Amino acid sequence: MTIALEIKDLHVEVSDKKILKGLSLNIEHGEMAAIMGPNGAGKSTLASVLAGKEGYNVISGSVKYLGNNLLDMPTDERAAAGVFLAFQYPVEIPGVATSTFVRTALNAQRRHRGEVELDAIEFLKLARAKAKELEMSEDFFKREVNVGFSGGEKKRAEVFQMSMLSPILAILDETDSGLDIDALKIVAEGVNKLRNDKLCGIVITHYQRLLEYLKPDTVHILADGKIVKTGDKSLALVLEEKGYQGIIEAS
Amino acid sequence: MTNISDIKNRYSESYNSMLPTLPGLELDWMKILRDDAIKQFHQDGFPDKSVEEWNVNSFRGLMDIFYNTQQENSYEIDLSSIEKKDPDCLVRVIFNNGKIINIEHDELPEGVKVNSLNFFIKNNPDFLKGKIKPANEYSESRLSNIIDSRPQSIVALNAAFHEDGAIVNIDKNIEVPGYIELMHIGDYTDNTMKHIRSVIFLDKGSKCEVIENIQSHKNNNMVFTSHVADIHLCEGATLSYNRFISGNSNNIHINNVHAQLDKNSKFISNSLINSEGQARNEVRVNLLGQGSSSNINVLMMGAKKSMHETLTKVKHATKNTKSEQIIRTILDERSRGSFQGKIRVDEGADGTLAEMSGKSLLLSNDARINSKPELEILADDVKCSHGVTVGTLSKEQLFYLQSRGIPENQARKLLINSFSNTIINNISKILIKRAKNFILGEFNEND
Repeated sequence: MTIALEIKDLHVEVSDKKILKGLSLNIEHGEMAAIMGPNGAGKSTLASVLAGKEGYNVISGSVKYLGNNLLDMPTDERAAAGVFLAFQYPVEIPGVATSTFVRTALNAQRRHRGEVELDAIEFLKLARAKAKELEMSEDFFKREVNVGFSGGEKKRAEVFQMSMLSPILAILDETDSGLDIDALKIVAEGVNKLRNDKLCGIVITHYQRLLEYLKPDTVHILADGKIVKTGDKSLALVLEEKGYQGIIEAS
Repeated sequence: MTNISDIKNRYSESYNSMLPTLPGLELDWMKILRDDAIKQFHQDGFPDKSVEEWNVNSFRGLMDIFYNTQQENSYEIDLSSIEKKDPDCLVRVIFNNGKIINIEHDELPEGVKVNSLNFFIKNNPDFLKGKIKPANEYSESRLSNIIDSRPQSIVALNAAFHEDGAIVNIDKNIEVPGYIELMHIGDYTDNTMKHIRSVIFLDKGSKCEVIENIQSHKNNNMVFTSHVADIHLCEGATLSYNRFISGNSNNIHINNVHAQLDKNSKFISNSLINSEGQARNEVRVNLLGQGSSSNINVLMMGAKKSMHETLTKVKHATKNTKSEQIIRTILDERSRGSFQGKIRVDEGADGTLAEMSGKSLLLSNDARINSKPELEILADDVKCSHGVTVGTLSKEQLFYLQSRGIPENQARKLLINSFSNTIINNISKILIKRAKNFILGEFNEND
């Protein structure tokens, strides 16, 4: 297996407050890595830094993605290179139909990679097939992006976008938050369907339940801006039993 | 710079010398109307910032330049140089430099009469009588019971000087197929003014769609144009009135619509404005008959140093009437915008439903918008709402779009487009393509 993402000694500040304090993490192609940690540990900061959100000041360290310096790339170029962030709180965009949004995104990525853009019919065909795979109704193509969506619908729409954009690095930022058990199952199954040899995932979560469905290859505990412990999926079970404090103290 | 009172005198002198050439003098009422109007204008002058309806921006070059009605360029034009009439357009009236030069149509259905003001003056003057009202009847009546003619002094100037206009007269129960286009083009000489006076009359139960297409002039001389349209919808009639207003940086365009609505009639007014110069759009609606309703939709798109103003006044004069106003303003660079919207509910006009929403999007730190919603409610049983917001593009939304691979520039366009879609999507199927083309090149992202 080759390494897809290599984070080395990353230090990040947000509004003059140090959040990540020397985080290192390697993820291989095909690997599903879970990141767990207490509130305020820096999990969402990591997701935002990887996606290229403004306001996150990288002080030192490096992030190599497919051999390139990820931190040098603008957000849209990262996406075109295969980085996908499933938002914890997907953003509503009134006045833009979901299908228009996804098609614009897909074609922008294809254009960036020098590939031929999809016309309306080709796009619809692909979108229908993906929606079917995820057992989603096509009604939401016409609906405005995330407007009036329930929590479950929003997360499913994120998975749909992920499926349409077929990323190489997928970051799921607390995709399980706000979901009931049924919705959680559906979303997790959706993600599982997208897994392949190339795709690597970072699953940020508080709970062991999502991991029961997603079956991560590695589990990393993030506390106070650093990875403090790494293990396989049994680590999540230990965590469930002992709590973060127990693990952090032991490490 | 010329003294303002000198300029007022020059307009009066100009009126006296122009008078023999102005149409309709053979009609007593028209002669009186013109004479009274120039007197009123001379008394009031152009509205300055002391006039409430005009107190946001000053129009550059309006008060301190004398505009001549004499047009040196001819009114002739090679018609083949004009874009072809849209197949969905039933009648197209072309104005060049403020005068009708052509009316194109195939066979007109019975009961549809579209022609020039001059044609009606000659052939059917009785129709016009009472439809073009004396200038003082357009005065604002204020809550304090003061009648103020100053805000409407340009309507008075128009009444004195108008040389042409379009008349649309639809008979009882006629549904006009397609739409009627009033197209304005020009290559005016410097410091010229032109006034267009139109009347749209829909008899009982008739239905019609009109577009007033005001194109940018071929040159960029200082030109001042005013269009005043008097609209009367009889019982059960429906009119969709669309104005697409362009212009060059040295153009001043003032567009006034006065609509009166009888029982169960419906008025839809859509205005798209993308002038690079100064454009003012006024819509006054009188809901006189029970069950009448109006929708006013406005999209102002300013850039560079443009200035766009919209003033609305919707008067609910009787029981059970309905109105909606949606105003969207997008301003870039150093552009200026203003929206003053008023809902007035008269005493006894119970059962009124009135809504107003004004939203503005500022794309530059140098753009300025002024929004003033007003409610004057003198009845008890009414439901009125108004909301006005001013904002910039949302960083969260931009990041979300970019995180999906959409470059920043395109993401901005998509968001701006979604903002303007609130108005564009209200435009009828038959005109929506033209509306999209109109804003293309401004902000529209063609996908």
